[in-house]
Amino acid sequence: MEAKVDMKKTGKGLIKFGIAVLAIIVIVAVAVAASKSGGKDSLNVSELQTAVNAPEAALSDGAVDTSRQLDGHHLVAANDTYELYLYEPALSIIVKNIKTGAVMESTVRDEERLGNVNETWKGFLQSGIVVELQEETNTMQKKLGLEGSGAQVNVELIPGGFRAKVDYPTQELGFETEVKLYDDGSITACIPERSIYEHADNKKIGNIYVFPLLGNSRLGEKDGYMFVPDGNGALIYLDDKEGRFDSGYVQKVYGSDIGVGESYVLSLLWGRYETHNDAEMILAPVYGMVHTGDEMGYLAVIESGDEEASIYATPNGAYSDYNWITAAFRKCTTYIQPTSNSGGSVTKVTDRIKYDINVRYMFVDGEDADYTGLAKRYREYLLEKDELVRVEDSFKVRLDFLGLDVENWMLWKKDVPVTTVDNIREMYADLEKEGVTDILSLYKGWQDGGIYDLPVTTYDVAGGIGGAGDLSKLMDECEQKNIDFYLFTDGVRANTETGNTTFDTVKKMDKRLYTQNTYQNVYREFVYWTPQKTLENLNTLQKNLAKKGVNKIALSVIGNTLFTYTMGDTMQTRGVSKYLYEEALRQTSENMDLMLEAPVECYWQYAKAIVDMPIDDSDYIYTDQSVPFLSIVLKGILPMYGDYVNFEANEREYFLKLVETGIYPSFYLTYENPSELIYTNSSHVYTSQYTVYREQILRYYNELRQISELTKNSMIDEHEITDTGVIIVTYDNGVKLYINYSDAELKADDVTVPALSYVARVNNELTGIAGMGVDEG
Amino acid sequence: MRQKVKMVILMVLCLSMIAGSTAIAETPYRTYTVDGYGYVLETQSAYNPASAITKVGETSFVTPMDMAIGNDGNLYIADAGAHVVMVSTVGGDEVRMIGEGTLQSPTGVFVSDDDKVYVADKDAKKVFVYDLEGTLLNEYGKPDSPIYGNSMDFKPIKVVANNTGTMYVICEGNMNGIVQISPVDGGSFLGYFGTNYTSLSPFQILQRLILTDAQRAQMLSNIPSTPTNLHIDEDGLIYTVTQGDKDMALKKLNIAGKNLLDSDPYWADLPAAVTTGQYHNMLVADSDGYIYEYNEEGELLFMFGGRDDGRQRIGLCNKVEAVAVDASDRIYLLDSDKRQVHIFEPTEFTNLLHEALYLFSKGRYTESKEPLEKVLQMNSMFDYANQAMGHAYLQEENYTEALRYFKLAKSADGYSDAFWEVRNIWIRNYLVAAVAAIVAASVALSLYKKRQRIKYGENGAPAYFSQRVPLLGTLRYSLHFMRHPFDGCYGVKREGRASIACANILLAAYILVSIIEKYFSGFLVKTVREGRYDIISDIGTVLVIFFGLTLCNYLVVTINEGEAFLKELYCAYAYCLTPFIVIKPFVVILSNVLTYNEVFLISFANIIVLVWMLVLLLISVKEMNNFSVKETAKALALTAFTVLILSLLICIIYVLFSQVIDFISSVLREVVYRIGS
Repeated sequence: MEAKVDMKKTGKGLIKFGIAVLAIIVIVAVAVAASKSGGKDSLNVSELQTAVNAPEAALSDGAVDTSRQLDGHHLVAANDTYELYLYEPALSIIVKNIKTGAVMESTVRDEERLGNVNETWKGFLQSGIVVELQEETNTMQKKLGLEGSGAQVNVELIPGGFRAKVDYPTQELGFETEVKLYDDGSITACIPERSIYEHADNKKIGNIYVFPLLGNSRLGEKDGYMFVPDGNGALIYLDDKEGRFDSGYVQKVYGSDIGVGESYVLSLLWGRYETHNDAEMILAPVYGMVHTGDEMGYLAVIESGDEEASIYATPNGAYSDYNWITAAFRKCTTYIQPTSNSGGSVTKVTDRIKYDINVRYMFVDGEDADYTGLAKRYREYLLEKDELVRVEDSFKVRLDFLGLDVENWMLWKKDVPVTTVDNIREMYADLEKEGVTDILSLYKGWQDGGIYDLPVTTYDVAGGIGGAGDLSKLMDECEQKNIDFYLFTDGVRANTETGNTTFDTVKKMDKRLYTQNTYQNVYREFVYWTPQKTLENLNTLQKNLAKKGVNKIALSVIGNTLFTYTMGDTMQTRGVSKYLYEEALRQTSENMDLMLEAPVECYWQYAKAIVDMPIDDSDYIYTDQSVPFLSIVLKGILPMYGDYVNFEANEREYFLKLVETGIYPSFYLTYENPSELIYTNSSHVYTSQYTVYREQILRYYNELRQISELTKNSMIDEHEITDTGVIIVTYDNGVKLYINYSDAELKADDVTVPALSYVARVNNELTGIAGMGVDEG
Repeated sequence: MRQKVKMVILMVLCLSMIAGSTAIAETPYRTYTVDGYGYVLETQSAYNPASAITKVGETSFVTPMDMAIGNDGNLYIADAGAHVVMVSTVGGDEVRMIGEGTLQSPTGVFVSDDDKVYVADKDAKKVFVYDLEGTLLNEYGKPDSPIYGNSMDFKPIKVVANNTGTMYVICEGNMNGIVQISPVDGGSFLGYFGTNYTSLSPFQILQRLILTDAQRAQMLSNIPSTPTNLHIDEDGLIYTVTQGDKDMALKKLNIAGKNLLDSDPYWADLPAAVTTGQYHNMLVADSDGYIYEYNEEGELLFMFGGRDDGRQRIGLCNKVEAVAVDASDRIYLLDSDKRQVHIFEPTEFTNLLHEALYLFSKGRYTESKEPLEKVLQMNSMFDYANQAMGHAYLQEENYTEALRYFKLAKSADGYSDAFWEVRNIWIRNYLVAAVAAIVAASVALSLYKKRQRIKYGENGAPAYFSQRVPLLGTLRYSLHFMRHPFDGCYGVKREGRASIACANILLAAYILVSIIEKYFSGFLVKTVREGRYDIISDIGTVLVIFFGLTLCNYLVVTINEGEAFLKELYCAYAYCLTPFIVIKPFVVILSNVLTYNEVFLISFANIIVLVWMLVLLLISVKEMNNFSVKETAKALALTAFTVLILSLLICIIYVLFSQVIDFISSVLREVVYRIGS
């Protein structure tokens, strides 16, 4: 009996103790949360609205006869080449080329041609602007067109175009949009943030599509293609797909958002190995539609809101009979907030993401109505806007070195040096003897602790590769020899095992720490610094490097990573990351030569060159052709270096691809055998030994250099594929390159191109370098 | 032959036209291989996705179920939904349709060397044989042989035939095996072939022993799975894949139905189809879109591919039904969910490997070195190539190089052979010198001992110092304990010949030696991966086990009228470790100079050490507590029980504790969520 009483007492005691502990936990948590939410670090929208520096083109604001009709639309603006027509209730526009009479429509007005589509898709196909409604926390958003959904549209004509106020009374939300025509043949459409209102608590704007059907065509009725900025560029032909595809291309501009944990299927082999490679990402916020038969096309540039946009390119057969390409702008999104370890969670909706939407449709006609024309138009546009600065473009072979990584040893980590400073010196000397002098190098893993000892904020050189003194000496020598020698580091990631990552690391929207799994043995995961911290780290690093006279730095990850995250309990948008990263890169580029790994368009102006430039597209089932769009834009303006040749299983085709795109070759080298690296996080480097690649470097160098001499400082003027399959690249200095990827000899113009080879033609004279060094085998 | 070559060139032409300039993109999947330890590593892309066929001419696929490549290079695709076998060029152009009107639900198709098209039709319950033009030559229904079984239905889903026309048919719902039908007399049943067997796990056996009949009837019946798919190569060997058979998912059966492959851990989880290439290489396609390539012996060369899951990229599949390889090593994968055929091209890397594979399998080791070297240049960690190089060098009698490659490849057998040779050469060269050195050393040692005796008295330096330094004395006593355990125990218990310090030192020495053994043993007996160290857990394991056992044992003996104190038990047990400490270092040294021929010496030494320690332990328990034999046995049994209880207790505490942690973190999450919203 007594024992029982005792038990009860102890039980009560335990409960009291438990309650006390809980209370303390709650109080502490509240205190922590409160102290954080008062933090200063959140940026507001006004800071982010960097004025859209539009190209100088006059508004086509001359008076027009607004009663002129075209297919139920009336004229609202015109210039010498284009007329802009509007059908007010659906905000449908038609753009007409006066010279050729060709038109591009932004909706499908003809009911009969719509075919069997449901109401939702009908609304989509018939509206100039479509809103996807976020109701409560539904993960499926509902598409709202204009005419059938009870929306009220009030149009006011303004010089050069129109302004429309769109209200959805049932949903208690609305916005304004402004569309204008310019004399250079471009049309802008914008939805300013300040005009957006959402009065209902549970109804928000999820996504906005701006002119989703502009330039649409039904089945195979038009010749032409849609241009998607997948990797270097890809085309989807406007032929009849005969229902082969049930979906189309959808990708987020500038890559996916790790902060919202977009749902994707992770299928691991044997439960352990990630077997998928990511698709190429969108580096430039553009897309296009070309009707080659009508000689009319446009390139759409997302001038504002690019970081929140997704590009949709849908071939006929998927959802409807129409080919359409558009950008959708995310205004809010849902995410999963876990509430327990055992899988409990609730779905939540983010606040509205604040930014202006601004799309510029630049129309092309005549000979320019092809993908080369679009690329050239984009190049002009970027140069005009100063978002691209012409850098001296001379051929260099990129030889990157991996200095040091670490492996687990006993209780510690052991250095595994694979390329020391002395080794590099030796390799340079060896190459110089062979006449290889134009070199650009990124030195990876130079810091103490090896390549994954992150972040790097000081000039702390690993002893294993020769130490700071020797490395500085090497850099001086490189300076004299005119070798561009860059120190490489990762601007964004942090290693939880080598640094203090308790604070300033990225928390996703669900307030959980973001971790990137490496599927490797030494360091299993990385976290990301907040952009604020990255900015701080880079500034510190810059100062410390400057003190030691280092003025060249290469940064990875920062150039192509944008995410939504939380600080305290405020949402920080991708726009914030973009703004802060741009700030970091701008400051860095002011003091140092900066090299960026596959950067997105907004950072191009800060780079001296781009490395790891995508050379191709992602090979989607619905894309018909890969085109070197970005190469055409950048060649002759900004040097581009490709992915490492080492890991290419098809070397010959890769070589030809370099010739075609004007991208310079890259090699990843170590002095030691890479089998040394097998227990390190760099175990994916399975082939890199200098002695193995020496001959190949010489071959690539000699041959590509000769071609580059021919095309030096000139830009690509035309890129075409002949019926026989030969690719002809014409430079603006008249040099023509004929490239043949097939296993048989092919003819184009009057030129015979040997199998898997190329021919260069200068002023109608064939030069002697044709495909001489291409490896047999 | 020439005809064939021409055909291949033509096909290459066609394909490069289709593929256009899209072949260089980074593949949507990664390619993995396995190293000598069985460690999965990334490697260069083995096959690149080239293109996809979404339609044959104007016809879309409905439910494509099987695919074969004919000698004409065309694809024969059995479409159960379209009730037809579509014949297509590799470019997707229609050649003809076979069996329109006759076929009901063709799920299997096979094109034989003599240009006959065999079609398995599940719903028609027949195997149809056509010529290439689509003329029906023969049809075979359910065998009327009584051996086949009257009640057994005949629903052929897959079929192959050998060069005499004997058909091997997989039938739905027929667990007896593959049905073998001879073409003579309108199809006579030859018997079942390649039957899968089931095995019982010890647990299932136990279950069957205890359960009642009624309970047993409710269990899942343990019947063998029907093979999922099959393939026949030009030598008449039959390859089968079976889903749900983890151990033997892939079988290579000879004419007698005997499996020629060993079990291997790298089988596909959900194998859907199998085929063979020109180099006796085997390709298994997983239903989830993975492709596995094995060499002739079933060693994994490559693993690549993956599920598409909406990625819409060429090279990823959702539900693979069939796999085929053409004369230029292109792989064709049929996906019934995406209703497409994906075509993969071998890369330069794979072509080199295939060449080496071919030469190597023909025993032309030296010739195979050239492509192998190129393979290793491209990927020096490709262990299959390392191993083959080792064999090549072994053939050339370049043993040091062979040794190097075998070590890289982690190939123990090869290493042993090469090492035997290397050692042999060493012995030949240095035997005289070595013997001389040993003699010289022993002379020097005896001289040294003599001088020591003069200096420190008759018993030499050890005895001299042992008398003066007590710790050394107790340490030296461990050697005595080892040889005279009864006497030793008496000394420990009654004469105070042991000390805690000494026991600690012995335990530390044991840990040290066991670590040395683990990490510095010779290549052939080493059980851990080169370069992998986990010292903390090594130390921890020894300490936990030793102290746990000692404590449990102490608890047991104290309530069983044992006389020993904890301290004495600890000392005695530590002394029991002495044989390990004394003998193991020699074993470790020995293991570095032995080959597989002599490796039994090491196992022998290990057994001696183990038995010796056990004997010492038993004697210690008995003597320290003054137990009889019976009491000793009882004490040991009780100790074992106590250990069990203790570990259970720890488990329970751990589980409860993790529940508490989970609870607290849930509360925290909830708080963060509430504050956040």
